[in-house]
Amino acid sequence: MIAAARSRAFAPIFLVAAFALSGSPASAQKAGGTITVGLELDIPGFDPLKVGVYDTAALTASSAIFETLTYLDANGKAQPRLALSWEPSEDFKTWTFKLRPGVKFHDGTPFNAAAYKANFDRQKDPANKCRCAFYIAAVKSVEAPDELTVVYNLVDPSVNYPTLVSYANQNAAMHSPTAWKEKGDDYNRNPVGTGPYVLKSWTAGDRMILEKNPNYWDKDKIFLDRIILKPLPDAQSRFASLQSGEVDLIWDDEYDADNIQRAQKDSKLTVHTYTGSGATVYAMNTKVAPFDDVRVRQALVMSIDRKKWSQAVTNGLARPASNPYGEGSWVKCKDDGALPLDVEKAKALIKDYGKPVEFKMLVTATPRGRANGQVLQQFWKNAGASMEIEQVDQATIPARAFTRQFMMTPWRIVDLADPDPQMYANFKTGSPVALANYSNPELDGLLDKARTTADTDKRIDLYCQITRLINKEAIWFWTFQNTYYAISTVKVKGLPKMYSGVIDVSRAWKE
Amino acid sequence: MAFFVARRLLYLLPVLIAVSLLTFSIASLLPGDLALTILADQATPENLAALRRDMGLDQPIWQRYFIWLGNVLQGDFGRSFRTGQTVLQAVAERLPVSIELMLLAQLGALAIGVPLAIICAARSGGPFDRFMTGTAFGMLSVPTFLSAILLIYLFAVELRWLPATGYVPFAEDPLGNLRFFVLPSLTLALAEWPGIMRILRSDMIATLQEDYISLAKAKGLTPARILFVHALKPSSLTLVTITGINIGRLIGGALIVETIFALPGIGRLLVGAILTRDLIILQGVVLLVAAGFVIMNFIVDLLYAVLDPRIRHGHA
Repeated sequence: MIAAARSRAFAPIFLVAAFALSGSPASAQKAGGTITVGLELDIPGFDPLKVGVYDTAALTASSAIFETLTYLDANGKAQPRLALSWEPSEDFKTWTFKLRPGVKFHDGTPFNAAAYKANFDRQKDPANKCRCAFYIAAVKSVEAPDELTVVYNLVDPSVNYPTLVSYANQNAAMHSPTAWKEKGDDYNRNPVGTGPYVLKSWTAGDRMILEKNPNYWDKDKIFLDRIILKPLPDAQSRFASLQSGEVDLIWDDEYDADNIQRAQKDSKLTVHTYTGSGATVYAMNTKVAPFDDVRVRQALVMSIDRKKWSQAVTNGLARPASNPYGEGSWVKCKDDGALPLDVEKAKALIKDYGKPVEFKMLVTATPRGRANGQVLQQFWKNAGASMEIEQVDQATIPARAFTRQFMMTPWRIVDLADPDPQMYANFKTGSPVALANYSNPELDGLLDKARTTADTDKRIDLYCQITRLINKEAIWFWTFQNTYYAISTVKVKGLPKMYSGVIDVSRAWKE
Repeated sequence: MAFFVARRLLYLLPVLIAVSLLTFSIASLLPGDLALTILADQATPENLAALRRDMGLDQPIWQRYFIWLGNVLQGDFGRSFRTGQTVLQAVAERLPVSIELMLLAQLGALAIGVPLAIICAARSGGPFDRFMTGTAFGMLSVPTFLSAILLIYLFAVELRWLPATGYVPFAEDPLGNLRFFVLPSLTLALAEWPGIMRILRSDMIATLQEDYISLAKAKGLTPARILFVHALKPSSLTLVTITGINIGRLIGGALIVETIFALPGIGRLLVGAILTRDLIILQGVVLLVAAGFVIMNFIVDLLYAVLDPRIRHGHA
């Protein structure tokens, strides 16, 4: 233990890197103590009917209070949590989960298939008008044939479904049916799950105190006695609170590059980072001139210098993306067909097109949105294209996108353990989110095949063909990968990979 | 006096109506309406139309205003679509924090400003007076967010005397509660004391030239007695007004200070409502705060009338 601590002090960088790969070295775990976490936002609550979607702050709390059927291990594979095992049907449209017996909610209600089905039905019920229902649109129904069996009936085949119920989001987290029925409106702020921590107290805008669940089924793997979550909205004072020792861990993002880079040089702090799948992207409306011409689209993509862009807005922290999958995805392509950075070629393509390239781009009316818009404007000006920034409120972008009232719009491919849900929605002809208005039978065929192929290598090949096609047609372009940050004191250990940006401290410990 | 109060109350009515109109139209005219915000990435035309119908957003704006006003008059300010909390619940939870912050900030500003003003007035034109007048001017120009961060770095990160952020209720731990309030209230006080000092200083310099002060000097009273007993009281009338008006500035400052120091007060509630486009909380809280401010100033008006009969009789 002492030796381990000493070697860690001498080689912190190496150990942090090794640590991220291996998960948790068994020798160093220490029970007891409190971890205080500084989050960005106030958590609005946990009832999916009320809040609709959990944000990053809510997910840190929900990962401690609630559980899901599976979780992702360090290699991104689904592992048993509330489910012990699972089995697909031959067409991958039905998944049968066997549940862990003997699990109880914090209020004593038994967790079983009926409880699971009640959670699902409550979200799906049209009378409840839950925003969360959108995210389970791909699930037709959930059946509970016996006490410990849950059957998912999917609308479309999904070869990797268990990885999609692997973190405690608004849909996958299991709530106690007794609790939401008894508490009604108050349930939102009095959540009851099966997780390793129980909500002790919650002062609005100030702190949420979670205490170790003494009856947790896997309590030997839980070390901290207490988790305190505090909303610290200001990035500077949040970082200062970490430096002064009032909090042990803070959420951060790459736009706060100064503090992240300062922390990287600080021997008392550890920067946890994870690059997931997905990316920040832009979509071009190919039904509108000049984007109806592939030369224009290619020219615009070829004039974007992502490294310079990253340097300008995030001190170089943002990681360029050349495909929609990202480092965190199991889809790795030898050749993703990304167009090279080539301003001369771009100029030639635009000249070839013959007409002036002028268009409008939607930009969120925030300092970040404007900065990104101006950088792009400059790149395209260099290539001889003129882009006009149209500033709009963040909330209006989806509506404009769905009704195709845009020429170019920013978008995001969210981080999921399997590429199918996002890729299918974004590129299949006729999907509401197929923003480019682009239709190609070859692309449709590849997408259909990729979602019904079980063999991983074959799927990788299909997804690589898909990105090559999209990159060549330049209907969307990817800018930066989804990268997440948390900064802690060096004492905090055992933080798992931040899949989907979730900071899960429920299995961490403090040295 | 009753007539005076009644007349003032009558003035209050149009002000409050104007405030409610402004609040409502600000929230309604913001880009991106409530339905868009609630639906976010599901804002398909069909969903939008359905939600707008459900929420009555398809009705004309004046009709929505009267419905909203009617509800407000019955004490129903609406519910946050994010948390399900009512506006009144949210405000009631957070009001004590903001009131404590403002009280401590005001006390701090007075504790710094009043003694300095007296010393400066006593030796007006002297080196200390000139130095302090310059300093006050400089401090007036320092924005709150800068002094807040500087104070955090000095007292929390470097010296580690005080916490950088956080809060504990007074009832739970009175001493701890005050520790958390030192830096935030000091930040606000640093922006407030220069105004107090400059006003009081010039009023006192004027008072010290009055005949009765010369008389007091001639009677051989000590300078301290003259300053604190004979000069301070008559000079502090303007201070009362300033303190009243300062509440408005303090509310504005609280928005920034509560966010930086993570105090769970009204300011944080507002900033959060703006960031998450929680328009119902936004318009409810702005209306309550504005009404509170108007009523505070109404009370200050009354106090003034109590202190100075000329105002009461309408020929000041």
